[in-house]
Amino acid sequence: MAQLGKGKLNYRCPSCFMRDLDIDMFYDKEKKEFCCIRCQYRGSEKDVLEKNEMVRFRYGAMLKRFDFGLEDMEWTNDPAVEK
Amino acid sequence: MKNQFVVNVIHRPEMVPEYAEKVTGHGKEENISRKALLTESLDIFKTQQSIAHKNGIKTTIQMTYASLFNDEAVELAKAHHEQYGDEIALTLLGLPCKEFREKYKTKDFCIWMFSMEDKKEIVRDVFEKFYERFGFYPESTGSYYMDADLTNFIKQEYPSVKCAVATCWEEGPKAYHTCNNSWYTLFDGGPWAPWIPSKQNTHAPAANEAEDSGIVAIPHLSRDLIACYDGNGSNFGTHPQNVLRGMIYDSKTWEYPYLYNLIDQYRNLARFNNGYSYNMMFVGPGWMNKMGRWEAPYELLLKSYEDGMAYYGKLKKEGKLIDMTMAEFADYYREKKSYTEPECALWDDILYGSDKELFWYTDPFLRACVNMDQGGAIVDLRPYAAKLDWKVGIGTPHVQDASYPFLIQEKYRAGYFTHYAGEGTIRSAKVIHNGEEVDLALCRTKAHFSEEMIDGKKNRILTLDATDIEFADLTCTIQTKVYFEEGTGRIKHERRVLNMSDKNAEVTLNEYMVACYGTTEYSEDMTSVKLTVSGSDTRTIDYAYKCREDSLDNATSVYAVVPPIETKVSLSVEAEEGKAFTGYIKEGYAFSPMFTLGYTTTLKESEVFATWLSLEKAN
Repeated sequence: MAQLGKGKLNYRCPSCFMRDLDIDMFYDKEKKEFCCIRCQYRGSEKDVLEKNEMVRFRYGAMLKRFDFGLEDMEWTNDPAVEK
Repeated sequence: MKNQFVVNVIHRPEMVPEYAEKVTGHGKEENISRKALLTESLDIFKTQQSIAHKNGIKTTIQMTYASLFNDEAVELAKAHHEQYGDEIALTLLGLPCKEFREKYKTKDFCIWMFSMEDKKEIVRDVFEKFYERFGFYPESTGSYYMDADLTNFIKQEYPSVKCAVATCWEEGPKAYHTCNNSWYTLFDGGPWAPWIPSKQNTHAPAANEAEDSGIVAIPHLSRDLIACYDGNGSNFGTHPQNVLRGMIYDSKTWEYPYLYNLIDQYRNLARFNNGYSYNMMFVGPGWMNKMGRWEAPYELLLKSYEDGMAYYGKLKKEGKLIDMTMAEFADYYREKKSYTEPECALWDDILYGSDKELFWYTDPFLRACVNMDQGGAIVDLRPYAAKLDWKVGIGTPHVQDASYPFLIQEKYRAGYFTHYAGEGTIRSAKVIHNGEEVDLALCRTKAHFSEEMIDGKKNRILTLDATDIEFADLTCTIQTKVYFEEGTGRIKHERRVLNMSDKNAEVTLNEYMVACYGTTEYSEDMTSVKLTVSGSDTRTIDYAYKCREDSLDNATSVYAVVPPIETKVSLSVEAEEGKAFTGYIKEGYAFSPMFTLGYTTTLKESEVFATWLSLEKAN
């Protein structure tokens, strides 16, 4: 078996990402799978992409736009300091 | 007063981006002078500059040491200064290049980690090289972190410098862990927004002219004050590619409202800071690598930067944003702020949908975080009053660890919840009735911000929505107010019983602070700590992990002296005349290496009890 290399994109391990670890994965071109050398995850590109969707579960408001009532605030582009 | 939203956009021609050699060079022998690498780096810089200018945003060009050897980079900086008013500045990031390695014979690249002797030599080398190329000395500089000795030296040798990128908020053990324990940027505990660093310690703002380091510091990125405190800081800042790193975007549509929410929440901070709010974007070229960055292809990296800058541009066109160079900002900041005026941020969760709310407060005497989701408990506390002389770099006791030590840090030292035994660091209160005990840390609520002059001192006040404490035979409604007294290092927690379901009932209130000291998750030696209860008598416990306690009726203060961080922290009472209370101190033990300071009293309906937490330097 030859050494691991890099895939077309530099995918991180989705399992480690979920525990706040950014670990690059390496690619087995024979098996066409990405491997994590820190944990036991290995998977195809399709599986990695599916798991990357899963890791977003924590971002419950990821696609929500908040307004903070900013439209009610008066703004100036004059840098002069008012005392 | 109209509100001002000030933005700094900074670009650096890094030539050898920190990430690019590792990522694009995988499978090749290391060669930081590869032509392809240099060409790509400069191309990315040009792209970033073009995007900013297209949107009408002026930039600060922070020349790196490597770029000073590149004629094209130098000419570009000069041309953009002339054409767009960009500032030509000098960063101490981006040291790695063939010339640096040959001269200094090291692969170190973080200026704060070098020995003081090397820092001086490198600073002189870099600043003189800059002068040689441009004919003047820069007004702005920076790095991920600038230790106080480094800043003082630069200011002494090059007094033209008035602004610096000086820390990256909460980039500490969490960032280290995220990078598989290989990224040694350990500098938790600083301000999240611009400040004037003291000569003694970069994190701690100057209290007066004598302490003034002479520069205005800005943070490296504007970070999410909830997400960064809990998780990997490098996912949650006004850095579009950091947002991609966090996978905080729709992978089908490539939309990332979070980036705009983050910018907008920073705008919202004008409400708490006399109409001033600030934001900065500083993306190193390695983040716009043609090879893509992790799972994000180049097209997405580019789009995110274009979108982020376009949002700034839109706000500017609407008259809602003022773009400044770093040097311009330093002048503005000094005119706008006084030394003791705090930076305040009532910050809501904009990512997880949790409804959580924190309040961050920084002034020259302390940094604190109050958690409304924990009933107004203080969950992080840094005693800036001590102005610790904490030398950093090779040859000092702290080669890498530049964090300002904490007394309370709920993530590293447990907070309210512990596993079966012991206590975690927190400043909270317990309400007790008929053998039942409820900690206010379990009462989720929200706060309203206000300012008030009290006894001649300006106070920033958090008024929390009242919460119900339900016992088996009694419901008690309590309101908490938290007062931050400007310029004194004091925080008051006031508890008022608004209602009791049984009008004749009485509850016991236990106001407490569990603390320790440190910069990481792991415990430090506590044996030099002294705990004292003082009043009609003064009694001290010398910390020896023996789980001892002492108390005194009507104690005037209970306090701890923590010599390793030159800090005295105390609690004292503000109550009606004749009100009975008891002060107490508790030593910890090996499995719970903390100490506790507290007061107990009893409360009936309509009664109020307040305790002050004070921080002082202890020599």
